[in-house]
Amino acid sequence: MMGMDLLGRIDRWGEIAPGRPAHRSGGRVLTYGELKARSNAVARYLAARLPGDRSPVAVLGHKEPEMLAAFLGAVKSGHPYIPLDVSLPPQRVERILAVAGVRVTLTPAEVARISVPAAEPATGPATGTVAGTLAAASVDAPTGASAPAPVGPDDPYYIIFTSGSTGEPKGVVITLGCLESFCRWMLDEQRPGGPPLDEQRPGGGEVFLNQAPFSFDLSVMDLYLSLATGGTLFSISKDDIEDPRRLFAALAASGVTIWVSTPSFVQMCLAEKTFAGPMLPHVRKFLFCGETLPPETAAALLDRFPRAEVWNTYGPTEATCATTSVRVDREILEKYSPLPVGRAKPDTIVAVLDEDGRPPAPGERGEIIIAGPNVSPGYLGRPDLTARAFLPWVPARPDLPLQPPAPAASVARGTGSGPGCALRAYRTGDWGRYQDGLLFFEGRMDSQVKMRGYRIELGDVEANLRALPGVRDAVVLPVAKGGRVESLAAFVVLASSGVPGGQDGQGDAAPAGFDEFTLGRRLRRLLGERLPAYMLPRRFLFRAALPMTPNGKADRRRLAAELEPGA
Amino acid sequence: MSSGESSEPGVPGAPGGPGEFTTGRVLSILAEIAETDQVRKDLDLDLYGLEILDSLATVQLMVALSQEFGIDISPAEFERELWATPRKIVAFMEGRVGP
Repeated sequence: MMGMDLLGRIDRWGEIAPGRPAHRSGGRVLTYGELKARSNAVARYLAARLPGDRSPVAVLGHKEPEMLAAFLGAVKSGHPYIPLDVSLPPQRVERILAVAGVRVTLTPAEVARISVPAAEPATGPATGTVAGTLAAASVDAPTGASAPAPVGPDDPYYIIFTSGSTGEPKGVVITLGCLESFCRWMLDEQRPGGPPLDEQRPGGGEVFLNQAPFSFDLSVMDLYLSLATGGTLFSISKDDIEDPRRLFAALAASGVTIWVSTPSFVQMCLAEKTFAGPMLPHVRKFLFCGETLPPETAAALLDRFPRAEVWNTYGPTEATCATTSVRVDREILEKYSPLPVGRAKPDTIVAVLDEDGRPPAPGERGEIIIAGPNVSPGYLGRPDLTARAFLPWVPARPDLPLQPPAPAASVARGTGSGPGCALRAYRTGDWGRYQDGLLFFEGRMDSQVKMRGYRIELGDVEANLRALPGVRDAVVLPVAKGGRVESLAAFVVLASSGVPGGQDGQGDAAPAGFDEFTLGRRLRRLLGERLPAYMLPRRFLFRAALPMTPNGKADRRRLAAELEPGA
Repeated sequence: MSSGESSEPGVPGAPGGPGEFTTGRVLSILAEIAETDQVRKDLDLDLYGLEILDSLATVQLMVALSQEFGIDISPAEFERELWATPRKIVAFMEGRVGP
C-alpha cells in the first residue's frame, strides 16, 4: 500500500500557502508557514533533548495552536505523541506518563519558548498570529543537531489513552500507516477542499469544526483532514462550550464548512432555535462519530440545514477514529431506525461473527471484527490486553479461530486486500448486525459505556472509587434516558472505619451527621482527583451492603432496577 | 405585566404561599435533570460550583422548562449568573411566566 506522505503534504501547504490559517482558536491564528517552521523547531529541540531515543512525547494543553506544532514536531523527530487535555486530573496524567515511559512533556508555553531560527522565519501576517506573540524566545532550538528521522509507516504516530476496565488507562498505539489509511479513505470519500492532492490550488480551503479535545480520537478526523487539504481547523474551546451564549456567538463567527462533532454536541446546539442555515451559512457537511446518531437529530439537521449532507460514521479508537460511514439522507431516514453506521472503508474488512468465528444467520447479531491497515498494533506495553483483543486475519488459513467470512450480506469487504494478505484484526466487543449491506451497531458486549461520545469502562470508575479511603465497595451503573446514557450512578458501601475525607462513620449506609448529598459531593471531589470529569458519577447512593447474585457477585440487575424512574 | 417581574430576585413562595405553583414545577424539573432532590432542600445550592449542572444539563433544563411552560428559552441568551442556584432559576422562570 502506497503511503500518502501525510507529513510532506502538510508541510507543502507551508510552502505554497504560508499565510493561510491552519488553526484558529479564540482570537489566535496559526498559519501554515508558522506551523511548518515551529514544528521543525520542535523536532530539532526534541532531537537534542532525546538523542537516539524514540520515546513518546506527551503534549499537554487544551486546543492551543502550539499543540499542533508539538504533534508534528514530535513525529518529525521520530517520536509518537500522546495528546493529553488539561482537564485530566494530575494523578491520571502522571499514571499515563509512567505507563508510557514519557521523558518529555510539552506544554503550549514550552513550545512557545522554542525559538524558530531566522533562516526559517515564522511567516505570515504578524499581528494577531502566534508568531507575533512568540517574539521573545528564551529557549533556543538546537540548530546543530543532526536532522532527525521522522516516524515511518510502521512506527507509532500517536498514542491515545482510553479508559481501561481495571482502573488503569490503556494506550492505543496508532501508526503513521494506520493514520494514512484513514486519511486516504476520508479524503476520497468526503473530498474536502476539492479533489485529493490539489495542492496547486491554494485559493480554497475548508473550515473544519474541532469540538473534541485532541486527547479524544474523534479530533483526528477534523485535525488531519484539515491539515492534509490546507483547511483551517476551528477549535471551539472548553470555555465556549461551557457557556451557551459564547458558544453560539463563536459558531456564528466561525465560517465552518465541515462540522465534525459527537451527536451529543450537535443535539445540544439544536436546542437553540437560531442554530440553522443562517447561523452557519457555509456548512456543507456534518460528520459524526463517537456515539450513536439518533434519527431525530439527523432529521432536524436536514430540516435546518437543507444544503448540508449528514454523515454517520463508526469505529473504535483501536481502528483509527472511524472505519465505516454512511450518508444519512431522507431515504435512509425513512427506511431505518435506529440508523445504520454504514459500510467499511475500501481497504478494510468489517465482519460480524458469532462465537465460533462464523457469520451469524442473516439479520442476527454478532461481534464486530475489524481487519485492515487502520487497525492498531496494540496497547502500549500491554501484551496481555493486546493478545486478547488483536489477532491476525489471514483469509487463506481456515484453521484459524476467526474464519474468513463468506462474501455474504453479513460481511462488507473492501477491494484493497488480496487473498492471503495478512491483516491485523481487532475484536471490538461491539455487537453488530448487517442489513442491506449496511452495518448496524447494537451495543456493547461488556460494561463499557459511551456517554456524550466518551468511552468509559465502568470497571475503571469502580476501581478508582474502591481505591478511595473509606470506601469498601462500589458498583457504577449507567443511567439512561430515552435510550441514551445520560449519567452514571454509583452505589457505594463505606468502610466501617470512616467517612471519605475524614471523620468516623458507623459503617451504615450514610453515617450519622452526613446526608447522602454531602457525602456524595465529597466522594465526587475525591474521585475527581483521579478521573476526568466526564467519568464522574452524578449520583451517589449509599448502601450498608450490595445485593449479591447466587454466585457471589454484586447484583447489577437489582441495582439497575433501583435506578428506574419511579423505583 | 406579570407580578413575577419583581425587582426582588428569587423569593420563591413558601408552601402554600404565592409562587408555589411555578416554584414546584421548576424545582421538580430541575431535580429530575440534576438527579438530586437536594435542589428542593437547598435553594441556594451552587449548581455550577458543585458541578451539579454542566452545559449539556443546562440546555436539557432549558428544553424541559420550555416544554413544561410552553415558552421559548433561548440557550444563546443564557447567562450563568441567572441560573446559578435553584432560587435564581425559579426567579428567572417567574419573571417569564409569573408565580
